[in-house]
Amino acid sequence: MFDVTQVGSWPRSEKLLRALEDRRNGRMTRAHFDRIADEDVRRCIAAQTEAGVDIVVDGEQRRDSFVSFVTEKVEGTKLMSMEETADDKKAFEQMLKAADVKPGTIRNPVCVGKLSRRDPLAVDEFKFVRSLTDLPVKIALPGPYLLIRTMWGPKFSRKHYPKPTDMADDVVRILRDELIELRGAGCEFVQFDEPVLTEVVHSGKAQEGESFSRTFM
Amino acid sequence: MATRRDAGSELKFAVDLVNRIVEGIDGIRTGVHICRGNWSKQDSVHLSGDYEPLVPSLSKINVQQLVLEFATPRAGDFGIVGRNLNNREIGLGVASPKTEEVESVEYIVGKVEKALEHYQPENIFLNPDCGFGTFSGCSITTHEAASAKMKRIVEAAKLLRERYAGRAERKVGEAAA
Repeated sequence: MFDVTQVGSWPRSEKLLRALEDRRNGRMTRAHFDRIADEDVRRCIAAQTEAGVDIVVDGEQRRDSFVSFVTEKVEGTKLMSMEETADDKKAFEQMLKAADVKPGTIRNPVCVGKLSRRDPLAVDEFKFVRSLTDLPVKIALPGPYLLIRTMWGPKFSRKHYPKPTDMADDVVRILRDELIELRGAGCEFVQFDEPVLTEVVHSGKAQEGESFSRTFM
Repeated sequence: MATRRDAGSELKFAVDLVNRIVEGIDGIRTGVHICRGNWSKQDSVHLSGDYEPLVPSLSKINVQQLVLEFATPRAGDFGIVGRNLNNREIGLGVASPKTEEVESVEYIVGKVEKALEHYQPENIFLNPDCGFGTFSGCSITTHEAASAKMKRIVEAAKLLRERYAGRAERKVGEAAA
């Protein structure tokens, strides 16, 4: 009872932030990056073990963000800054400023082709944590609605999926396969992140087409 | 086709997606996390509003646990969730990932005791409101602050276990009788 755990992400070290940037710009190999990220995951697990939590997370240290990391794993996606995907750049930059978002700091996965799971999304993350601790592990995955809302944009996606809802079957398949594989690997807890549900009811911006460029939660 | 869809059909679409993913899958705990944004230390720039408009949809999601914000007043009254969604586990947000100041044990225990008005102790999980570093481009807190908050949540959980261990055991005894 009263099991203590976390929601997912953990602050990344300066070294890891630089490595993420190098990796994004193609200046660092996956193997080199993983060695640096492994260190930060160890640090994150150590902090949780020392605190005495009941269920650990890996702190999403390997991810650019809780959602954008899928571009490395899912066929048909591309990582873009929100400025790149906005229709009206000036209005969009003003909106970001009002929301206290520094320009260029939040990137989204954008659907640019037929979606399929090229690599498991988080099975490797799970296996590394399992090698460090016997505590139950929670893995956070972007929820299906979040993925569809962030990935679909008329300019880039319409050719492959005329409407956001047309992505449903492929997104469900990707996440269901991942859930089954994580269970098979021994993961105890999978959490789907659906932050934009509050945007639907509290911002009045649940509009198809427009949603894509505004979603940054 | 930029037709405005009402929130109801949008939420139904979202719930159906999750339910299709988890359908028939057991042997692993599944949960859904919802928040109002987590990209800035400035609390006021995030969305605000209680869970009321989400209750009809959330009550149809077939996952074991809802992981929800409650450390921020922007999440509204706990009773809305407590009264309507207590047939599953709650991952109760008891600390803010956006502030440096570490919540006190009393504050965390107070949040949990509010939840205990509606939930059995074994169905209450304690967590921060959201991740401590959602986007790599805008880290909202430090390793040290996050560690201190997790320690404090564990401290509160220990106290709560001492205080409420009997309640869960009694419940089991009653069920057996």
